[in-house]
Amino acid sequence: MAYFKSEEEVYEYIGKLFKDLSVDDELAPKFRKANTIVQYQYSNPKSQITVRMIDGEDEQVDCGPTEMEPEVIMTMEADTAHKFWLGKVNVTVALARGQMKAKGPVAKILKLVPLVKPVFPRYRAQLQEAGRTDLLEAA
Amino acid sequence: MAAEELIDARQMSGFKPFYQFQSPTRVIAGYGLIEGLGFEFAKEGATRVLVVTDEVIHATALIDKVRAGVEDGGLEVVGIYDQVPPDSDSSVVKGAAQAAHEHGADSILAVGGGSVMDTAKLANVIFRHGGEPRDWEGYYGLPRANDGLGRPEELAPFACVPTTCGTGSEVSFAAVIKDSAEHVKFQVGDFPLYPRLAVLDPESTRTLPPAIVAATGMDAMTHAIEGIVSSEWSPHGDACALQALRMLRDNLQLAVEHPEDDAARGNMLIAANLAIQPTHTGAIGIAHSLSHPCGAHYNVPHGVANAINLPWVIEYNAAAGEDIAAKYRDVNELLGLEVGGDGAAVGHALADHVRETVRTLGLPGRLSEVGVPESGIPLLVEGAIGDGCTLVNPVEPSEEDFAELYRKAL
Repeated sequence: MAYFKSEEEVYEYIGKLFKDLSVDDELAPKFRKANTIVQYQYSNPKSQITVRMIDGEDEQVDCGPTEMEPEVIMTMEADTAHKFWLGKVNVTVALARGQMKAKGPVAKILKLVPLVKPVFPRYRAQLQEAGRTDLLEAA
Repeated sequence: MAAEELIDARQMSGFKPFYQFQSPTRVIAGYGLIEGLGFEFAKEGATRVLVVTDEVIHATALIDKVRAGVEDGGLEVVGIYDQVPPDSDSSVVKGAAQAAHEHGADSILAVGGGSVMDTAKLANVIFRHGGEPRDWEGYYGLPRANDGLGRPEELAPFACVPTTCGTGSEVSFAAVIKDSAEHVKFQVGDFPLYPRLAVLDPESTRTLPPAIVAATGMDAMTHAIEGIVSSEWSPHGDACALQALRMLRDNLQLAVEHPEDDAARGNMLIAANLAIQPTHTGAIGIAHSLSHPCGAHYNVPHGVANAINLPWVIEYNAAAGEDIAAKYRDVNELLGLEVGGDGAAVGHALADHVRETVRTLGLPGRLSEVGVPESGIPLLVEGAIGDGCTLVNPVEPSEEDFAELYRKAL
């Protein structure tokens, strides 16, 4: 059974994380170095988050439909995304197993992977604050 | 051990939580195989063959032998596309795919080095699925059954006759192509890109200049050593990489000094073929991360850049922990080098051996010798950090680490 019950739940937790990161004084400037627009297309439940990380521009995060044109598209189950933000997914392995699929200039995203490690505790804390221990325990 | 710790751990030994190894390409190696190309390629379903190559190779007698070999097996060579440059491009990929359509080909045979083989791989994707080359950029994105979850759709029968001994593209699932219009190199990787057949016949490297044998041989050595110590190492990959190093140890110098030695050249083809195997799981490292920007910005040949960067990376990685040093000890033991002492000592012994090999082969030992200026280091660092190979290095380098490695190699 999927961890998230609805598209809204995906946006409430993973979407909120992206939005928090987009205004983070320390991390946002590093992410903007990716200089791309990436779209995360999730299944179970079907949902979509698009993030603009362009050098010299403000970040933008759209949950659901967007007018932004993504350069990179990452496709995965929402469960995989949840486990990733808990620090429980090795991206290289997930790509090799087909749990994640990457379309576009993937290197732009891969270089962000080491940067997101400090975000894992933040996601965990966010779930705890929301009282969603079920999500913490499920993964 | 908690899952988080498993991910952060280097996993250099013990039972790995997960790895995947596949090597679906049928490899045949030996003498006289070019003459029997048609007999072998027919087993993969080929009947009407488009040969993809470059003008230099087309001008040699090799292509005549390839044509005769294909036709001897009852197959037809319907066309020869020879417009692949050393650093291939999207427009060339489209040209090769168009040639396959125009000639009514049902299969593709690549005869050349990495650029030719990668061009032919992606041309096969366009030939089968259409679209533009960059539509397929990324990993595991080719059409699959069962709404993308099932078996990937097959491409046309595809075979390779490598004419250099370093890239290993004849058994890999990836292609790297330049998009001149956008000034970028892009990668396409998926299972159907594995060639169905790789033919390793020393006849195909008979006219290869010794300097190219040396550079491509060092590329193969870098694949093997980086594969062994990568965080994505696997026992299967190690087995191939260690045998590759044995064969490089015994044949590289010989093949450079005695180009007429068919056995040495044949064994170099096999060594390169084995050396690439660990990278099927993404196992490679920051010698490649350092080298890719050197090629992109200063046109340093890939094998030469790897030869220069590899020893500094070995010293950097080996000093970072005993588990990593233990992997280098395996390499040192095989090469008859010092295996005692701490990680730094083990790394230093291997690095010195690599430097001596590079010197003996007559290759440049410094980036400054091949046109890389000190002022270019910030640009190179930016490229190295963003390189996918950085993610699977056993040590996670900082920007300053990369800058220091470049300064040392300069």
